[in-house]
Amino acid sequence: MTTHDRKGPGISGRTLGLAISTAILFAVLSLLSQSFLSGYTMFVVSRQMAFYVLIALSQAFCLVVGQMSLAVGAIGSLTTIVLGLGLETWGLPAPLAVLLALGFGVLAGAVNGWLITRLRIDSFIVTLSMMFIFMGLRSGISGGQPYRVPASFSFIGQKSLFGVPYVFLLVVLLLGLVGFMYRSTVFGRRMLATGGNAAAARLSGIATDRMVVWAHVLSGAFAALAAVLWASKLGSAAPETGDDWLIVSFAVAIIGGTGLTGGVISALGIFMGSAIFMLIKHGLVEVKANPYFANSFLGLLILLAIVVDRVREIYTEKPKGKASP
Amino acid sequence: MLELKAVSKRFPGVQALDGVSLSFAPGEIHALVGENGAGKSTLIKIVTGLTSPDEGEIFFEGRRLRFQSYRDSLAEGIDVVSQEIQVIPESTIAENIMLDKLITRGKSGIIDWAAVNRVARKYLDMVGLPLPPDTVIKRLSAAQKQLVQIAKALAAEARVLLLDEPTSSLTEHEARTLFEILRSLRRRGVTIIFVSHKGEQVFALCDKVSVLRDGRLVGTRRIEGLPPPELVKMMIGRDIVQTRPAGPAAPPGREMLRAEGVVRKGRVEEASFSVRAGEILGFYGLVGAGRTELARVLIGEDSLDEGAVYVRGERAVIRSVADSLERYRIGYVTENRKEEGLLLQSPVRTNITITIWPRIVRRLTRAISRVKERTIARRMVDDLDIRVTGLDQKTEELSGGNQQKVCLSKWLAADCDTLIIDEPTVGVDVGAKEQIHRLIWDLARTRGKAVILISSDMPEVIKLSSRILVFRDRRIAGEVGGLDEGGKTYAEVSAEIGRFLN
Repeated sequence: MTTHDRKGPGISGRTLGLAISTAILFAVLSLLSQSFLSGYTMFVVSRQMAFYVLIALSQAFCLVVGQMSLAVGAIGSLTTIVLGLGLETWGLPAPLAVLLALGFGVLAGAVNGWLITRLRIDSFIVTLSMMFIFMGLRSGISGGQPYRVPASFSFIGQKSLFGVPYVFLLVVLLLGLVGFMYRSTVFGRRMLATGGNAAAARLSGIATDRMVVWAHVLSGAFAALAAVLWASKLGSAAPETGDDWLIVSFAVAIIGGTGLTGGVISALGIFMGSAIFMLIKHGLVEVKANPYFANSFLGLLILLAIVVDRVREIYTEKPKGKASP
Repeated sequence: MLELKAVSKRFPGVQALDGVSLSFAPGEIHALVGENGAGKSTLIKIVTGLTSPDEGEIFFEGRRLRFQSYRDSLAEGIDVVSQEIQVIPESTIAENIMLDKLITRGKSGIIDWAAVNRVARKYLDMVGLPLPPDTVIKRLSAAQKQLVQIAKALAAEARVLLLDEPTSSLTEHEARTLFEILRSLRRRGVTIIFVSHKGEQVFALCDKVSVLRDGRLVGTRRIEGLPPPELVKMMIGRDIVQTRPAGPAAPPGREMLRAEGVVRKGRVEEASFSVRAGEILGFYGLVGAGRTELARVLIGEDSLDEGAVYVRGERAVIRSVADSLERYRIGYVTENRKEEGLLLQSPVRTNITITIWPRIVRRLTRAISRVKERTIARRMVDDLDIRVTGLDQKTEELSGGNQQKVCLSKWLAADCDTLIIDEPTVGVDVGAKEQIHRLIWDLARTRGKAVILISSDMPEVIKLSSRILVFRDRRIAGEVGGLDEGGKTYAEVSAEIGRFLN
């Protein structure tokens, strides 16, 4: 699978490095714990990984066009409330409630994108404000209480096909589509171009504002999808869904090699980024690390990912001067 | 005395400086001239410590200098006033002038603004800028910012002052004021290096002139007694018989683009013109005279406040570059390749095909056809003789001339029949410049494209254009025609252009 627009076919050095890291972590964990290779652990790990992929994609869509979204978790959280209201309060049939919840995600993303492009406000400011607005709404509406969901609703989040969670299968499919989109479609290539150099893209006839709006719409849709699946996994629509997504979204996207300044994404990278993230979290539990320090480990991991990237860049860079005379 | 001894510098694909030895004496205004790409900017960067030479040495008052950074050269009293104006826009004039020596109350670390403003005022008076020192920089015009930079250099007690194309954004009057200041600095024994490509100014102001061409020093002459054509000959390496490219010049075809009374407030006033197929229409003028500004309105990047645009005789409403590309087939090659023209990190093929992706999708999968993408990119690379190691080479790695060809090729790939080409040969070396000229000529004369050539390079405009519109103060000041018919010498045409500029 090719990674992104910058290289030709074949696997890039970064992706290869990720694959090796994943393999090493996997091997270490198998040795460290007898139960790691058990069907149950694999089920839990792969399912959790799938959620990380969705959340990272939600961030990566924005990063690709040179934006960011701080509202990833907040959109997920409020989506859960919309879902809960639909299922419990209004008693809608499950498919309709899910559609409503996903629709909310799309709408939230569209509003973000619209504010950013129409009013020319920085994505940081817009999504920061939206994050607080959404967080306030979800607490206000729910009062902190989870909503009940029908038992049948939990099928996709809790069941598996030959031991592989449905959520995982769904996410692998989506990830494949996303990879295809960026690699081969006009829409995806235009998003990459927008993030690579917005002025050049615009002056080459690309409607860059529209690309930015679409990026936020996709981001909102994927955050909402993650929230719906999370409710299915939990068997209830819990308002605190999404509270830790912001940091996770950046961590997995960055480890997976998504460019922070835009124009670079790798679907395979994000897949392995989420695997690495998951395995390290799991490993910390295995070695009985003090969970109170968990956030510090996450922070270190993000920093490490960036440093490794920088170091490789410096070493592979050909010596060259700046501008021509 | 500032001396360079056998200084060389190489950039990928270009020998920017090749064994240049030069000395600059105090109390002298020393012009450094040469065409684009001659090595002037590189020399400035070396003298100011922004880049280090591959070979050679620099001596200042007998001592060998080894600069690690720009700060080192400042410490030696070497200061530069550059064309890309370097000021902090949100700060006041006084703060910009005094940035590295803000006056504090005792040792408290608290800035004494009254004192800072007082000292800054002294230097503002010296450069003749009658503005309060606490004015915020971003409200200033380009000329005023340049004066602030000079005031800053004065405040730093600069002993060597480099001016890099200092008049490119100044009006006649402002330029004269600047010259007066430079003359008074000369009397005070400052070494002044005046980088320019404008012959008139060199003759009006300088004592000596050194000419660079293709990274080599052609020679140094005293201005006194130097005939102007001699200087031009030194610069371009031949007599200024501007030979137009050979080949058939078919008579222009139908009208492709016409503007009537186009206005964009504060940028372009009342611009009317038309360009026909097979014709190269030159837009000549200084930076900021309204040429690029008009182009950006025509392609829909900026909106127009008044007036109308007609494409192939029909009224056209162009709201975006996408409109201009897809509905009217007008392409615009930007003046800043790196900032606005290219995805530098992406492969060459991406930059060539960016305009045509929707046309090469496979029907069933909606995927862009790799095969078609490569075929088209390959055709462009062969057609325009773009030097690449492969279609997947990073665009950043190409030389200026080849990058420029990539910029052009994306509009050709999109089959545009009207091309607006903005400063196509800035920062490309002489060989590539010839090639690009040839290419532009062929596009219009043999392939029947309507071309608008925006350039502040007079020889270039005269060499290629069928007609020249001269821009001045946001207006089209006049038109010089009849270039295709022949019979007009270069000197006559440039004199005609000159009349519209004054």
